[in-house]
Amino acid sequence: MIKKNVKNEKTIKILFARNEVTVVLAVLVLGLFFSIFSDSFLTSYNMFNLGRTVAIYIFIAIGQAMVVIVGGMNLSLGYIGGMTVVAAGYCMEVLHFSSFTAVIIGLLVGIMAGFINGIIITGLGINSFVVTLATSFIFTGLINGVSQGYPYNEIPSGFTVLGREGFLGIPFLLWLAILVLVILGYFFKYTVTGRRVLATGGNKEAAKMSGVNTKRMIILANICSGLFAATAGLLWISRTGSAQPSTGSDWMVISFAVAVIGGTALKGGVFNPIGVFFAGFLIVIVKNGLVMLNANIYYEQTYLGLILLLAVSLDSIKDLLNVRKLKRDLKDEKQTK
Amino acid sequence: MKRKTMAALLILVMVLGTVGCTSGSDSEDKKTDTSEETTSEETLGSVDSDTVIAWYAPAPHSYFDEVKKGVEQFVEDTGMEVIIQIGADWTQASENEKVEALIAQGVNALAIYPCDASGANGLYEEITEKMDVNVVNFGTDTSHPTTASFAVATDVKQAAYDATVALIEMMGEEGNILNVLEVLEDPNTALRKEGVEEAVANYPNVEIIQEIAGIQTQEEAVNKIESALSANLGKIDGMICTGMEATVGMSQILSDYYEKQGDEKHIYAVGIDTDSGVMNAIENGIIDATIAQNSFGHGYISCMLLKYLGEGYQVKGDAYFIDSGNVLVTVDNIDSYEQNLEEVTQDILDRLTTDYLEK
Repeated sequence: MIKKNVKNEKTIKILFARNEVTVVLAVLVLGLFFSIFSDSFLTSYNMFNLGRTVAIYIFIAIGQAMVVIVGGMNLSLGYIGGMTVVAAGYCMEVLHFSSFTAVIIGLLVGIMAGFINGIIITGLGINSFVVTLATSFIFTGLINGVSQGYPYNEIPSGFTVLGREGFLGIPFLLWLAILVLVILGYFFKYTVTGRRVLATGGNKEAAKMSGVNTKRMIILANICSGLFAATAGLLWISRTGSAQPSTGSDWMVISFAVAVIGGTALKGGVFNPIGVFFAGFLIVIVKNGLVMLNANIYYEQTYLGLILLLAVSLDSIKDLLNVRKLKRDLKDEKQTK
Repeated sequence: MKRKTMAALLILVMVLGTVGCTSGSDSEDKKTDTSEETTSEETLGSVDSDTVIAWYAPAPHSYFDEVKKGVEQFVEDTGMEVIIQIGADWTQASENEKVEALIAQGVNALAIYPCDASGANGLYEEITEKMDVNVVNFGTDTSHPTTASFAVATDVKQAAYDATVALIEMMGEEGNILNVLEVLEDPNTALRKEGVEEAVANYPNVEIIQEIAGIQTQEEAVNKIESALSANLGKIDGMICTGMEATVGMSQILSDYYEKQGDEKHIYAVGIDTDSGVMNAIENGIIDATIAQNSFGHGYISCMLLKYLGEGYQVKGDAYFIDSGNVLVTVDNIDSYEQNLEEVTQDILDRLTTDYLEK
């Protein structure tokens, strides 16, 4: 009996030691809070919509996380998404291409944009901040130039199935996000390339000395970043049934917030798929919950900031408590001696 | 070696880009030249050579394209040249830079959409007082006092009021309304809010069930409207959107909403924008109406005012704001509403030298 209790205690301790536990707890507590104070929070309609938004946030965050992992950043992420949306919309409405062709072209646009970022960063050794800042202007110009500010609304109805339907009450978009997170989790944990990408971000020099082609890893990370930004853009078209050139203009904050709250280290080398999943939920739940509770529109941003600050502080509070406990234990040990 | 190749490639791309831009400018110049030639043959006598008009829009947008049509019509009708400039981003800093460059080129009459209601006044003070440039705001107004001579725009409060009254009448003068506002930092949002609230106050059986705001992008509009619909499932009878992004978001969300919740209960919806997606939504019965601004008039009237000011006309009394009018577009007048707006424009043009200007 005592053995069993000790084992349970150990399991709980291991569970609580995990990085993502605070985000998961924050999601659970906030979910409980909003469901108590709003009858509509747990309705299937709201849950379905939450799931769709979370899925798109996850793809945006993965797009950023991919480059943060290798110690970089992608300020042009939203504009890659916007370019994809315009490219796909243009293909479907103006060129009358099939949805499949438009998707392929959209993805290629994202991949090419990521490749260009990667090749300039590694080829010329310029900081990713500067490169992606510059390319964000180029991409914005291309978005404006091609679309002239006009949306593309003639999207085939079949294109919206992925964004509007679901399986077992869960949107297809969320299933897709989960699948991608599982694949990425496997990729970073069990594949050589994945470990090399992480090593590049963890310590570039050490990775280089160990024979890792770090430049290739950085290019790969940027290509993946472009690919996920493009995916998010295409999924957004699928959800709304319209290709708006303004898509992606507010992705930068979302991408960093979800990725970093989800445990992606800004200094690189760490990716946490479970953390990213729940961080997506955390931000979407807070935004949704504030509307549910009919929060004062003028102070809404303040509430959003306060709740997020509290949620992300939990991790630090946990660390502080651990340090205090450790000190107390050491003191007790000293006194016993 | 690789780095050198990369650098060489980048330089090549930059050179090609610059050449491309230059050739683009050449073609723009050619276009202007052509228009000058044509107009000089047709209406040489009416062209005031001292007035150099520029029309500035902050960023590419379907609204500005509509306004530009009015400017182009003005060029065709009067034979005057107008430098058309569209910026790359919606910021006052960027607008200041572009306008300063235009003034340096000799522009002395400016029709402009101010990015920042108070920030734009700093720019106006400099160019009107130091450079004697006449400024006319189009699309929206700046805060007061301002050195702009006129503002040609939709009376946003009146438009919001009209839209809300139309919505309430569709609802049978009873029920709950979801009020969707956009950016709270924009003074126009406060006016729109007042317009909606004043209209609702006239109907005792109508209530605003919820207000949502802080919407800057279409994505935010979709997420927030969706959340508000979830929060008030089955309780919303009407929805009013007084901004462009919100209206586009509403038209996207409602089609999805009816697919999921069924269309037994119709949510009456009125917006403000004539985006093609919004017009499709009206045709398909997803939303019921939208307020069409007189975008064409914003362009035409503002340029005509600058022409008169250049000819020596002065602002008459305390004339300043010119309400360019608006029309409620429903499925019944979707093909003819532009004609109504043209009539409004003509009426304003006929009254410019009597009601707003004097010699």
